[in-house]
Amino acid sequence: MTGGSAYQRGLAALRAGAPAALPPRSRGIIALLEENCTVCMLCARECPDWCIEIDSHKQTVPARTERGRPRVLHVLDRFAIDFGLCMWCGICIEVCPFDALFWSPSFEHATTAATDLVHERAELRSWLAEVPAPPALDR
Amino acid sequence: MTLAEVLGHEPRTSYGVVVGGVDRDNWAAAVTDVRELGYAFFDVLTAVDLEAEGFEVVLRLWDPAARQGVVLRTRCPREDARVPTLTAVFAGAGWHERAAAELFGITFDGHATTHLLLAEGFDGHPLRKDFVLAARVAKRWPGAKEPGESDSDLTADPTGPGRRRAVPPGVPTGWGPPR
Repeated sequence: MTGGSAYQRGLAALRAGAPAALPPRSRGIIALLEENCTVCMLCARECPDWCIEIDSHKQTVPARTERGRPRVLHVLDRFAIDFGLCMWCGICIEVCPFDALFWSPSFEHATTAATDLVHERAELRSWLAEVPAPPALDR
Repeated sequence: MTLAEVLGHEPRTSYGVVVGGVDRDNWAAAVTDVRELGYAFFDVLTAVDLEAEGFEVVLRLWDPAARQGVVLRTRCPREDARVPTLTAVFAGAGWHERAAAELFGITFDGHATTHLLLAEGFDGHPLRKDFVLAARVAKRWPGAKEPGESDSDLTADPTGPGRRRAVPPGVPTGWGPPR
């Protein structure tokens, strides 16, 4: 098989309106499962081009038992990724200790304004829909 | 001749890439010999800053008939960052050597590297590891916030008392606003 014929078949599939066939682990866009985010700031600190913005606040949860202590929780207020700066290195996804970030293969996210490339948490969450299931565990 | 005979040692295969080290004094001669083996296509030449171990100049050649590549490397110390030029072997190497000369501050002996990429009067070599990225000092770092903090907490009193703030990597102490 030559590269040219694969290209021609790809073109034919696109003309027929078929979705592009993507290889496994394709890096389309980053999705956020905010329930898993503990606002540890690791992704924002590890990001080489500073494209992740996180805001949060502290919330005190009263003691649940008589002898318990009140606990302080960090609550996420804002999670935004500027895909105009992102270079698709995936370090944020690798570093996340609680699996709140995922690669989604969905890739058609061009905009006409650079500011529209900043995806806020609702948008980041919507990319979860296409995140593939994790590979099966080794037996 | 084989690659091992030209290099004087058996080349290493790392992640499917054949890699051979060359002595700096022997650089141009070794590359000429490797070219004669069929690696006639000059792909790329660049450098790596190894900090205390100096600089490594990395060259990739391609054999169009056998459809295989080879990576050749040579090292020079930091104080004496000079490597012989390859422009007599591959004329196209001149372009890559000019970029490496400007960005890493390596002199390619025998090649009058002229200004290529940086602004006129630019001081320093941006791809050296000790080059300070001024934008990292001037720009606000999103990672400076601790868990549970927002931008408003940071701007309230940046010089006031409080915990020492996390500093972004690559910013030497003493640079930027007081922390």
